[in-house]
Order: sequence, then structure tokens, then C-alpha cells
Amino acid sequence: MKGILFAFLGGAFITLQGVANTRISQDIGTWQAATITQLTGFIMALVILIFVRDRKWKRFKQVKPLYLAGGAFAAIVIFSNVTAIQRIGVTFTVSAMLIAQLVLTYIIDSNGWFGTIKQKIKLPQFIGIGLMIAGVVILRF
Amino acid sequence: MILGLLFSIIAGSLVSLQNIFNSKVNERAGSWATTTLVLGLGFLASLSIGLIFEGKQLFDLQNMKTWYWFSGLIGVGVVTSIVQGMRLLGPTYTISIVMTSQLGFALLGDSLGLLGLTQVPFTSKQLIGVLVIVSGILVFKLGGANVKHGAAKMIS
Repeated sequence: MKGILFAFLGGAFITLQGVANTRISQDIGTWQAATITQLTGFIMALVILIFVRDRKWKRFKQVKPLYLAGGAFAAIVIFSNVTAIQRIGVTFTVSAMLIAQLVLTYIIDSNGWFGTIKQKIKLPQFIGIGLMIAGVVILRF
Repeated sequence: MILGLLFSIIAGSLVSLQNIFNSKVNERAGSWATTTLVLGLGFLASLSIGLIFEGKQLFDLQNMKTWYWFSGLIGVGVVTSIVQGMRLLGPTYTISIVMTSQLGFALLGDSLGLLGLTQVPFTSKQLIGVLVIVSGILVFKLGGANVKHGAAKMIS
């Protein structure tokens, strides 16, 4: 039950983040919004990291540099997310994002790219994507 | 509409890549070190791109409101919630619920015109659309047992 609540909150926060970034962008600009929200988030995460005394960060060295650089994508994610919300609204944006996310993840998985365990795409995944696209069509037309 | 859709697809694709990369860091360095690194790099990237496009204007924050300084904390809430969810429920169920909740709150945000969004009147068509998408997510995530390994488990 607690797990369900956490997952539910997680989803709520992700959407709220997009909406808040859109609101802030209206007032101060999109790159400004992306810069400030990530700076304050970074400071908070750093404080928590020091507080929990997790020494595992030293193992950064064991991770491939490409994977360490993933965080930099967030700049483009935030910009694209805000621009999309301004143009087509939150529901449509989130729907299209989720479809793109699931499709790309499955392409990566089925090819075993980035060291993922190669796996076959099964029928339920096709049906799932089909339903999601159908839902977006219903939403819009 | 096409441009909005295109930006959504770019964002979703990058989130997918980022989740795979971040989870590789996470395996070694733990979730708080990973979050700190991810947000730090995101900050540096936004600052750099912002400076390229806007120059000194990037620091022109006239219309800044106090709460804007705290909105970055939402990201910390995202990580905490999902890490705890994963620990208690495992990735498949957690991500199914996270995605469903994301969509539900998106619909709520549009209908209420949350934080100055353009209000989109709530209609039965929208509700049906979202329910069909949610059923798609559930079929995708819960159908077939091959989602336990690989990248699919890392989507958030």
C-alpha cells in the first residue's frame, strides 16, 4: 500500500514539475527556468547526499563516461517538455512522451544496446503501444 | 500541433535514454549520488545552452517569484518517491502506477488550468482517451513476463 502511494506521488510530481517549469518559463524564459530549477534541485540533492553519508559516490569512476553524461540531456528534455505543453497542453504532451519513451526503450531492449539484455518483443507490448496511440487519437480528434 | 508533438517525442526519447544511463550510474553509486550528478550536469547544460542563445539576458530575472527558487525541490520529490516505490513494489508495478498517475494529473492540470495553463474543458472524450492510454500502459508493462530485465524496467 505504501509502495503504491509512493509511486502515485512520483507520477504526480513528474507532471507537476512540467507544469511548474511551464509557468516559470512564462515569466523568466525557458532556459532561465531550466537553469534555476536544476541548480536548486542539485543543491538540495547534494545536501541530502552529504547528510546520508553515502560513500558510494566514489564509484563514479567505475561507470562509463557516456553513462555519467546522461544528466546533460535534461536541459533539452525540459526545453522540449515546456515548449510542447505550451503548444498542445499537458495531457497530450505527457501521452506522446510516454509512447516515445516506451517505444525507444523497447527498441533498445530488443537490440541489446547499451549493455541491456537482449530480448524479444512480444505481442502484449505491440498491443499496448497500439492502445496508447489509439488513446491519443481519441484524445485529440 | 505537429511541432508540439515533435517536441514531446524528443523529450520522451531523451528521457528513455537518460533512464538507461542513469540506472547504470545508480547501480554503482547509489540514488542520491546519481541524482546529485544528474541535476548538476543538467544545470551546467542548461546554463551553457542558455548563455549561447540569450547571452547576459539569461541572468535577467525581473519577473522572478520567490516560489520559483523552490520548484527544483519537486525533482528531489520525484526521485525519493520512485526509489521508495521501486523498493517496495519492484520496477514493473511502480512504473505502471507512475505513468498512470502522470497522465491522471496531466488531465487534472489541463482541466483546472493549473498554474496559469490554458484551461482545456474536461470532456468524456478526454476521459476515454486517457483510460485507453492507461490500459495500453498496463498491457505493455504487465503483459508477458519479459519485462523483468533489460532497459524496460528503468523507465520512469
